[in-house]
Amino acid sequence: MNCERMKEHLADYLGDSLDLATKSEVLSHLSVCASCKEETESLQEVWNRLELLPGEQPGISLRARFYTMLEAYMQGKVEAKAGPAKVNDWIGMLWAKGPVFQFALSALLLALGIGIGHFYTPARTGDGEVAKLREEVHNMYQLVTISLLQQQSASERLRGLSWSQRVAQPDPQVLSALFQVLNYDTNVNVRLAAVDSLSQFSNQPEVRQGLTQALVRQSSPLVQIALIDLLVAIQERRSVEPLKHLSEDQKLNQAVKQRAEWGQKQLS
Amino acid sequence: MLCVRDGDAGKLGILFERYQGTLYNFFVRLTGSRQASEDLVQDVFFRMLKYRHTYQDASDFTTWMYQIARNVRFDYYRKRKREVVLDEEENERASQEPGPVERLQRRQEIDLVRGALARLPEAKREVLVLSRYQNLKYDQIAVILCCDVGTVKVRVYRALKELGQIFFQLSGEKAS
Repeated sequence: MNCERMKEHLADYLGDSLDLATKSEVLSHLSVCASCKEETESLQEVWNRLELLPGEQPGISLRARFYTMLEAYMQGKVEAKAGPAKVNDWIGMLWAKGPVFQFALSALLLALGIGIGHFYTPARTGDGEVAKLREEVHNMYQLVTISLLQQQSASERLRGLSWSQRVAQPDPQVLSALFQVLNYDTNVNVRLAAVDSLSQFSNQPEVRQGLTQALVRQSSPLVQIALIDLLVAIQERRSVEPLKHLSEDQKLNQAVKQRAEWGQKQLS
Repeated sequence: MLCVRDGDAGKLGILFERYQGTLYNFFVRLTGSRQASEDLVQDVFFRMLKYRHTYQDASDFTTWMYQIARNVRFDYYRKRKREVVLDEEENERASQEPGPVERLQRRQEIDLVRGALARLPEAKREVLVLSRYQNLKYDQIAVILCCDVGTVKVRVYRALKELGQIFFQLSGEKAS
C-alpha cells in the first residue's frame, strides 16, 4: 500500500468498515510511514471529537403537527373519493337507462323525500344537527389555522393568525401552534399578530402562563411592549417577577424598560 | 412505505415514529436551528405523501428519505435566500447553564464542535453528518449525493482535514 491508497481507505478505517485484509494492509503501512501515521492520528482525533455532539429530541409540537397534517390529508382523500367519483357513477348509470326512467326515478325520489320529511320532521328538534355542523365548522377553522401557521410565507402565517380569531374554543394543538409562532417565528410582525390572537384566549390559565413565559424569550422591543400591555390588561399578577427581571436588565431597550417598570407598578 | 404508496396513508405514522428523531438530528446538525429543523422534518413527511408514487418496490427507504430531506432543505434555504449560520440559541443556552466545572468544560467542547461544523462549507458538513452521525454506509451516501463511493470517501477525508484546521483555529482563538 502507498500513501495515495491510504488516503482512499482512511474514511473506511475511521468508520471501522474495512475488511480484515485491507485493515491489516493499512496498519502495516501506518507502522512504516510516519507522515500517514501522523495524519491518521490527527484525523482520528477529529473523528472522535465529533462524537461529543449529543443527539437531540424534537419538541412535542412536531408530533402534533405531523398527525394534524396526516389526518387532514386522509380526510381530504376520503372526501375526494366519496365525492365526484360516486356522483359520476350514478349519472353514468341513469344516462344508460334513458329519460323515461330518469323522470320516473326523479318523481319517486321527490315523493320519497316529501314522505320522509313529513314523517320525520315533527320528531326532530334540529338542534343536534346544527350543533354537529357548528362543531365541524369549528374543527375546520382550527385545521385551517394550524395549516396556515405552518406555511413558509409570513403573509400566509398572518392569515393563519386571523383565522385563529374565528376559533371560539381552541384545542391544545391550536394553542401550541400559536405559542410556537409567538416564541419562535422569525418575523416580528407575525409574532406581534400572535400576541393579538392569543389575547382573545387570555381567560385560559395555560394561555396566561404561556404569555408570561414568552415575555423573557422575546428579543424584539415591539413584541415585548405588546406583551407587557397585554399582561397588564388581563391583570396577570404572576408576570410581576419576569417584569422585574426585564426592568433590571441593563442591556434592555430603554422604552421596554420603562414599560416593564410601568407594568410592574400596575400589577403590584 | 410500500403500504403508504399503495393507499394506506395511515402507515406513515409508523415511519414518522421511527425516523422523526433521525431526521431531526440530521437537520439540527446541518442547520444549527431547532425550529427550522422541526419545520423541515414536517416538510419531509409531507413530501413523502405527495411523492409516494415515486417510491419503487426495490428502493432503499433510507436513501429515498434522505434524498427528499436534501431537497427539502435546499428549497427551504433557497426561499429564505440566506446561508446557514451558527446557531446563537445553542450558544446562549450553553453559556447560561450553571453546573460543575466538568459539565461546563464538556459544554464548551460541544460548543466547539458545533461552531467548527458551522464554519465548514455546507457540502463538506453534509457528507460528514451523513457518514459520522446518521449511521449510513458509504454506498448509501453515494446514492444520496448522486456520486460514486470513491468520491464520498475522498470528500469525507477532505472534510475531516478542513474540520481539523478549524478546530485548531477555534482553539487558538479561545486560548488567546
